[in-house]
Amino acid sequence: MNLKELTIERVQEVLRDERYICDRSLATIVYLSLLMGKPVLLEGEAGVGKTEVAKVLAKVLGAKLIRLQCYEGLDANTALYEWNYPKQMLRIKLEEVEHGDKEAVETEIFSQEYLIKRPLLEAIQSDGANPPVLLIDEIDRADMEFEAFLLEVLSDFQITIPEIGTVAAKHRPYVFLTSNRTREIHDALKRRCLYHWIEYPSFEKEYEIITTKFPEVEATMARQICAFMQRVREMNFYKRPGVAETLDWASALIALNRKGLDDKTVVETMGCVFKYREDLHHLREQIEGRQLNLEALLRVSPELVS
Amino acid sequence: MEVTPEAIAAAVHRFSSVRGHGTLPNLMAFARALKQLGVKVSLSQVIDASRSVEFVDVARKSDFRALLRSNLISQKEDFPIFDCFWREQVYERVPMESLEIEGTPTESRAQEGGDEEGLEEAIAETMANNDVPLEDLEEFSIPTYSPQELLNHKDFSEMGVEESRAIARAILLIATKIATQISRRKKRARKGNAVDPRWTMRNNMKYGGEIIDLVNRKRRIKKTKVVLLCDVSGSMDCYSRFLIQFMYGLQNELWGVETFVFSTSLSRITHLIRTKDITNALEKISASILGWSGGTNIGRSLHAFNRNFAPSMVTHRTIVVIISDGWDRGDVSLLEREMQDLKRRCKKIIWLNPLLASENYEPLCKGMQAALPYLDLFLSVHNVDSLIALGRTLQKMVA
Repeated sequence: MNLKELTIERVQEVLRDERYICDRSLATIVYLSLLMGKPVLLEGEAGVGKTEVAKVLAKVLGAKLIRLQCYEGLDANTALYEWNYPKQMLRIKLEEVEHGDKEAVETEIFSQEYLIKRPLLEAIQSDGANPPVLLIDEIDRADMEFEAFLLEVLSDFQITIPEIGTVAAKHRPYVFLTSNRTREIHDALKRRCLYHWIEYPSFEKEYEIITTKFPEVEATMARQICAFMQRVREMNFYKRPGVAETLDWASALIALNRKGLDDKTVVETMGCVFKYREDLHHLREQIEGRQLNLEALLRVSPELVS
Repeated sequence: MEVTPEAIAAAVHRFSSVRGHGTLPNLMAFARALKQLGVKVSLSQVIDASRSVEFVDVARKSDFRALLRSNLISQKEDFPIFDCFWREQVYERVPMESLEIEGTPTESRAQEGGDEEGLEEAIAETMANNDVPLEDLEEFSIPTYSPQELLNHKDFSEMGVEESRAIARAILLIATKIATQISRRKKRARKGNAVDPRWTMRNNMKYGGEIIDLVNRKRRIKKTKVVLLCDVSGSMDCYSRFLIQFMYGLQNELWGVETFVFSTSLSRITHLIRTKDITNALEKISASILGWSGGTNIGRSLHAFNRNFAPSMVTHRTIVVIISDGWDRGDVSLLEREMQDLKRRCKKIIWLNPLLASENYEPLCKGMQAALPYLDLFLSVHNVDSLIALGRTLQKMVA
């Protein structure tokens, strides 16, 4: 993709070609971030396709995707670089036996060869033709200290390794951060990013997503799936199903060779949609107790179509 | 955050009056208006927004809206405010020419004239309906309330020795539990459960690189900070002696405790009780705090705290302890908003209510009702036993 001829429509188009359906506002933000080199912070419920944006974009750009999965206790060593201690020690031992040159060994064991690159350094040192896409996934899981450290890296894209020197990025990576909002991200980090909240898709958008991902799906069944999903998201479940669940379910139904949905099929395949025992139980109870009319749930009625 | 139509109208009005010519001044006016409505916007965001304007066709309103929103707003909760402001026809009605960098000022002004008139009319209408003078709307105002502040000077000299010792012991237990929380980050230690290769290497350089001493690492102790906000209004009178004791004890046991008292206003007393001598401390406090035993305005006090102290004192490691009976005579919606804000900043909010112990007490008063959803713990404090129970609960919570 040529950045010079980039337009918002083009972004939407190429993402669609890679089977990622996004609305215009998200496309605008991706477009801006590509042109301005500003990181994007994506928030939204689980399974709405936050991570997918970065993955698909990397594919479209022909860029390398570097992913940093955050977790509590993640520190600079795991995210940036670490010296390969065992290898260094072995090298020293070897030189001792062979009575090699001490100084030469010293410079050697602190060279690139003995450096274990972690995602952030990898993103900065990346020397491909295109800048890489750096995906910092679930930043809310890392702690504040890491966030502060990240802030520093994201502001100038260079890292100082005392033994080697400063490594500056050849090209600025395209950075995507995602958060599930288990805690608030610090304002300073947010300020540096373009912010977008990905909503659950509308009926039409979800239908488009299913039919794009699975062209072989029966249109009536796809509509039934979407109707069901739209309504279920309005209801009181512990974990509302996202688009990921919709796609799981659709692919399961296709594998089972179903052309349409009925009570039995829904109950049998519900494990694709609900991942909590309580939710499954709740649904089954409601269906059996006739409080919930499955037929009505699956019906495509005008109020779903905006 | 709740935003009233009046606040929006005021922001719109201000925006249209300060809007200049050229992208940056306009965006700055826009950002200022958002700020006025309680949205956090920084200058760097505004600059980025103006930089990005050149990449997007601003005539396409939906794109322009996405551009502004992604640049200026950084949390979902603020979307409605942005949308509201956007809908108030700031950019819908006012022609876009004024946003272009090289717009001809006279032309755009002429065009805007009519629009602004309409806008002002609408604002005037809102004002007339709500009967509010313009000056009051100039800033995002806090609903005010002022009962008579009873400026009594309290005598704390009758502190029972036995009682205060028992309390001090209970407080020590609580304090140490809170103070020693396990972190997931590692630090170097003589004894630990994993080898730290980096420091092992460094430490063994003195033996010529031969590994003789192993340096371990273990989980670091996280220092939790505590902020105490204590109600000293009239309805809390019979507990205030005990409360001061509690605050004094906690602050002297724990590193990083900040203490505040509030009634209709908020006062920081950390420096006043940083002393070894309790009687002396009590005297100092009763002498310096005005409004002791007056009315209560929890919402306003929290607002003052959130605005003046919270940014520097409250982090994700801070436990905020509020001691109050929840009888609030201020604006409940303000209280709720401030609780929400506080909740977002801190690790835990613990509310200690001395009335909770009485059997027929239910948290029915509006203030307490509004605060309940934001609490992590809602506990009683009325005697030493309840304090010990609090200690145990905290122990579980921290573990």
